[in-house]
Amino acid sequence: MQITTDGSTLTLDGRFDAHVADDFRTAVEACAPQGDIDVDLASVDFIDSTALAELVRAMKHCRERGADLILTSLSNPVRVILELTRLDQALTIR
Amino acid sequence: MNDTNLDGYRRWAAEPLTVPPRFSIVIPAYNESFRIVPTIGAIATHVSTLGEPWELIVADDGSTDDTVELVEDLQLANCQVLVAEKNGGKGSAVRRGIFASRGDIVLFADADQSTPIEHFGDLLAEIEAGHDVVVGSRAADGADVANKSKVRDLFSWGLKTVQRVAFAIPVSDTQCGFKMFTADAADLLFKRQVVDEFSFDLEILWLAQRFDLSVAEVPVSWIDAPGSTVDAVQVAREFVRDMIAIRRNARRGVYETDNHQRPTPEDPPTALLDQAA
Repeated sequence: MQITTDGSTLTLDGRFDAHVADDFRTAVEACAPQGDIDVDLASVDFIDSTALAELVRAMKHCRERGADLILTSLSNPVRVILELTRLDQALTIR
Repeated sequence: MNDTNLDGYRRWAAEPLTVPPRFSIVIPAYNESFRIVPTIGAIATHVSTLGEPWELIVADDGSTDDTVELVEDLQLANCQVLVAEKNGGKGSAVRRGIFASRGDIVLFADADQSTPIEHFGDLLAEIEAGHDVVVGSRAADGADVANKSKVRDLFSWGLKTVQRVAFAIPVSDTQCGFKMFTADAADLLFKRQVVDEFSFDLEILWLAQRFDLSVAEVPVSWIDAPGSTVDAVQVAREFVRDMIAIRRNARRGVYETDNHQRPTPEDPPTALLDQAA
C-alpha cells in the first residue's frame, strides 16, 4: 500500500487496511489545515473495517475545521464496500 | 470505474439465480462482525465480473457477536447464511457450507480476505485444466506473504516439517484458507472428513491423496489480517492431536465409508459421527 500526497490530495494504491491506518492518519493530519482533503481511491482494491473507521475519523477531522473529506474515483470493490456498510451515505463521494 | 462490472454485481445482489450456480463460495465465520462485510463486498464485486452464475454461502460457526445479523441485513439475493447453534470448529463450518453449495466448483475462503479474491481465477484455471483440488499456497514459488508475524512463521515451519515427515502430502502449504474443489471432489472429501478443528485442511488433503485425486498448488499473495482469532499455541497442540487422530482413523478404516451425509433441505445438518457418539 502506498500513500502519496499532493497538497490536499491523498492518492492511495493497493490494500487499505489496518496495517496502513496510522500512515493514512499521519498523511491526513499533514495536509493543509484549511480546506477540503481529496482521497483518490481509484487504485485501492480492498478496504477493511479499520480503514473504514479511519476514513470516518478523517471526515470528522475535516468537518471540525469546516471542511470536508472527499472520496474520489472509487474503485468498484471500494464503492460496493461503502454501500454495504452504508458509509456511502455518511461520507462525501465525488 | 467500470460500470459493466458493477452492473453484474448489482444484478447478483438483487436478483435470485434462475439457473444452478457454476461457482459456490463458502466463507466460514466465527465472530467476524468486524471483518466480514468488507470481505463480502470484495468477493461479490470481483466474482460478479466473471459472468457466471454464482452463490455465496456464509457458514456461521456459532458466533456470539452479530455476524449472522449483519450478513442477513445485507439482503443479498444470492447469499445465504447457515446458522450454527454452537461453535463446532472451522472444519465443521466449511463442511456445512460445502454441503449447502450447489455449484460445479466450490471455493472456501477465509473471512478476513487475507488471500485476495483476485486469485480466484488462478485457482479456477487449474480446476479447468483437470485438477480436482487446488490449494492456494503461501509457500509455493511466486507467493507473496506480507505482515506475517514471527510466531506464525515459526508455527508454519513446524507444521510443514511435521506433516512432511508424517504424511508426505505433496503440498507446501496445507493451511491457507483459500482452496477450490470440483463439486465431486468436495462431496467425496467432506463426507469422509472427521476433523472439525483448525487442522481439517490437513485431513482433507491427506484424503485427497488417499483417493488419488489430482491436487494442484497455486502461489497466492497473503496479507496477515490484524485481529486474527487464531491462538498459535493452542492450534499447535490441536494440530499434533489431530495428526495422531488422522493416522489412527486411517488404521481403523474410518475413512473407508462416509462419515457425514449432505442434509436434505428438510433436515438439519446430520453428522453420522455425532449420532454415533
